[in-house]
Amino acid sequence: MTAATDTGALLELVWAAPLAALIVTISWGLVVWGSTRAADSRREGRTGQATLHVAVAALGAALFAAAVVYGLLIMTAKD
Amino acid sequence: MDSDIILVIVVATALAFDFTNGFHDTANAVATSISTRALAPKTAVTLSAILNFVGAFISIKVAATVASGIVNADLITTTVIFAGLIGAIVWNLVTWYFGLPSSSSHALIGGVVGAAFAASGADAILGQGLLEKVMIPALVAPVVAFLAAGAGILITYRMVGRLRPGPVNRGYRFGQIASASLLSLSHGTNDAQKTMGIITLALVTHGTLEGPDPEPPFWVIVSAATAIALGTYSGGWRIIRTMGSRIYKMDPAQGFAAQGGGAAVLLTASHLGFPLSTTHSITGAVLGAGAAKRLSAVRWGLAGNIAVAWVLTIPAAAFVGALTYGVSRIFGQGALGPMLIAVSLLMLIAAMFGKRVRSGPAITAAADA
Repeated sequence: MTAATDTGALLELVWAAPLAALIVTISWGLVVWGSTRAADSRREGRTGQATLHVAVAALGAALFAAAVVYGLLIMTAKD
Repeated sequence: MDSDIILVIVVATALAFDFTNGFHDTANAVATSISTRALAPKTAVTLSAILNFVGAFISIKVAATVASGIVNADLITTTVIFAGLIGAIVWNLVTWYFGLPSSSSHALIGGVVGAAFAASGADAILGQGLLEKVMIPALVAPVVAFLAAGAGILITYRMVGRLRPGPVNRGYRFGQIASASLLSLSHGTNDAQKTMGIITLALVTHGTLEGPDPEPPFWVIVSAATAIALGTYSGGWRIIRTMGSRIYKMDPAQGFAAQGGGAAVLLTASHLGFPLSTTHSITGAVLGAGAAKRLSAVRWGLAGNIAVAWVLTIPAAAFVGALTYGVSRIFGQGALGPMLIAVSLLMLIAAMFGKRVRSGPAITAAADA
């Protein structure tokens, strides 16, 4: 709570913060969706679909990891 | 001699505040994880305590004072700092007792504002700063987090709502461990710095440290990190229970949307130079994730009580800060007043924790299951 309010930053916050939150929830949603569907597909013997679902889960995991790393960078770059 | 004693008392009080800050804010990072059984209660507070400790070392860009731009810096003395800290500690204890999440930063600002007002009158308070740095962010944080988590949970349910619940719940519990860890680390970088800033300011005022931009000594960093970690480990179970299960019974997806979404809002705000209260953001996100699923599932009466606590935080902490300053001055300008008040507070805290320990743990793994 150390920086003075800036109208520009406030407006940016109003759209950027929910967008960041959505990126985090959607990326982890892809991980959960992809891994669950991949397990179901494997059980049903559809290996092609399972591979596709694993790829979706991996994409979600990469996005989520990037978001976490970005969060860590924000913490360390704080002034 | 008196100024040395006051300095020691201020340092001890600042560390006591840091401890209350830790146990008061544990809920922000771990309440949803405990509620959805992503983590066992003891594991959750241990993980959070370790990451708070580590976080304190990540960024040592100490905020010169948490009340900078809100109170006239020239009028701040060690006694004002002491009284402000007492105001913040008392408010943290009161809200903890009632299980209400409230901002420790606002409590500290309120305490210092009240003490400065008692010491130097209205001229000591910078109204514009109070509005810009406290009031506006206090309104923005819960609303933005509420909307973000609400939208997040609606999208989440669309994505995974028709899948088998077992693996979905396991997946979101796993995600919650990551989001709880990130929040704990972020809390350590933010809140331990407040204590480092207060102690550094006291050392400068005392004349122990010199220079326009003094770095906190290593012992200050270690002691602030240790105090916040110990506080976090102690766990403010009453607030954890409120955040995790009393507002509504959340599922793992809601827990993740609240925690992950809240963390994203906080870090984005920090990146934009618009730091928000962790407590306000996470509570807003918890409410948003619950209301988006079913409006009637949320206990709005309890949410109202939390809002009242937020509104009262600054005036109540300011009142106690002003009262502490006034009582302290009855005993003159020496160390006697702060010493008597510090001992009284210590006895009060010991009595409260003794009562807590005698009544047993508030949350256990068995009770939570």
